[in-house]
Amino acid sequence: MSGSGRPESRSVHIEPEEVQRFCEFLYRRTGMSFTQGKRYFIDRRLEDRIAATGSSSFQAYFSLLRADADHEIEHLINSFTVNETYFYREDHQLRCMTSSLLGGIVALKPPGSTIRIWSLPCSTGEEPYSIALWLMENWPQVDNYNIEIVGSDIDTRALKAAAEGIYGERALMRLSRDIVSRYFRPLGDGNHQIDEGLRGSIEFTRANLIDTQDMLRYRDFDLIFCRNVLIYFDDASRRQAAENLYDCLRPGGYICLGHSESMSRISPLFSVCRFPDAIVYQRPEADHG
Amino acid sequence: MPLVKGGPPKGSGNSGNIAPKRPTLASSDAESRWTAARALAGHAEAVPDLAAALDRETVPRVREAIMTALMRVGDRASVAAILPCLRSQDAGLRAAAIESLQALPDAIAPFLPPLFADDDSDVRLLATELARNMKASEATRLLCDLIEREQHPNVCAAAIDVLTEVGTSQAIPALENCAARFADTPFLPFAVSVAIARISGSEG
Repeated sequence: MSGSGRPESRSVHIEPEEVQRFCEFLYRRTGMSFTQGKRYFIDRRLEDRIAATGSSSFQAYFSLLRADADHEIEHLINSFTVNETYFYREDHQLRCMTSSLLGGIVALKPPGSTIRIWSLPCSTGEEPYSIALWLMENWPQVDNYNIEIVGSDIDTRALKAAAEGIYGERALMRLSRDIVSRYFRPLGDGNHQIDEGLRGSIEFTRANLIDTQDMLRYRDFDLIFCRNVLIYFDDASRRQAAENLYDCLRPGGYICLGHSESMSRISPLFSVCRFPDAIVYQRPEADHG
Repeated sequence: MPLVKGGPPKGSGNSGNIAPKRPTLASSDAESRWTAARALAGHAEAVPDLAAALDRETVPRVREAIMTALMRVGDRASVAAILPCLRSQDAGLRAAAIESLQALPDAIAPFLPPLFADDDSDVRLLATELARNMKASEATRLLCDLIEREQHPNVCAAAIDVLTEVGTSQAIPALENCAARFADTPFLPFAVSVAIARISGSEG
């Protein structure tokens, strides 16, 4: 069984009640919420998974899904999420960082002090480089502080690619031509390599989010981007990851999750902060309990 | 250049090592208890200590860490350690316990029959939620056994709500019986009709 590829035959008919039942399940497992208005999107992916698993009906597939046979939940989530990453993805959170979060973070930091930002998982580097670019382009106080950006991932091949910083046109599609021309060097094969200074300023490390011992090495972050990874974990692992992230943040530090993720559904450790550009989660300044 | 490289992460954080010393679960300092509980996540041999700590813990953050540690073990002893929280007067603790136990559907299954026979209707009602993540066939069997004999309409309603999501067609006779028994409690026959429509729609 494979999570990739699009089966040729799709003969299973899915009733509206089945879609509703499925959507409730998907919401409880992932927080992803789909309405009837997304029927085409849902049906297409459901039909693909039914065919890919050789299920004879929705009910047969749903039983298999609930039992998580052959990691079907992971395959399903993969089919419902956009795995491709690119520069300035979910840029409303980057905007929130410069318009709302950093103001609070530096309120108690004198100029010249350090701000620590973590991108986890960082995949092939698009996110930590995006944070760096966004800060340099959009935060007037960027020269007043030392900004440490760390990118971590469990996949060492991804980390190697992140350190090389070579990207195709699709990864750069959200960047203006001006930014591309100033921060990237064309390699002549359609790819671009990000500025050497930027590559040298970001630390790339291997980290396992649910390994408490491993996460001990990471502390005192002011801001963590941890997007689109918790949805892949089971409940116990999600909670452990949330507790690890809590320890990695400074009191008062913030965490940004993916658009379909909600810390409130995982752990009560964090406070919900609603800013104009994004909802983020904060480790309380003082632990009252 | 405002961006600075912080250097590779150190061997341990500034919060100190997670000391694998169980006595810290009994520390007077909440931070030590939090750290100790997190270090014991997944350690089956620590379940008795975690259970004892959960029983006396009053700090919500530490309680969460203890429950997470027990969830990571995920065996019957872990379930047995969390179950008493269902009887707590603290709604937050009850809710946390249900969330934790729902994540352990295989381990919780043997505990459901006695929970469904509990003298306390609040416990029976809360226990119906624990079937939500179980295999459909097993959840259906257990919940149908419950609604066939349950006298409290709110417990039946809670069970029907779970059956609506996870029940199979095997539940339909028990649902119909339940609707007939509670014909004078209008919301129950209505809930049953919704459940049967959903189950029939899903399997038709």
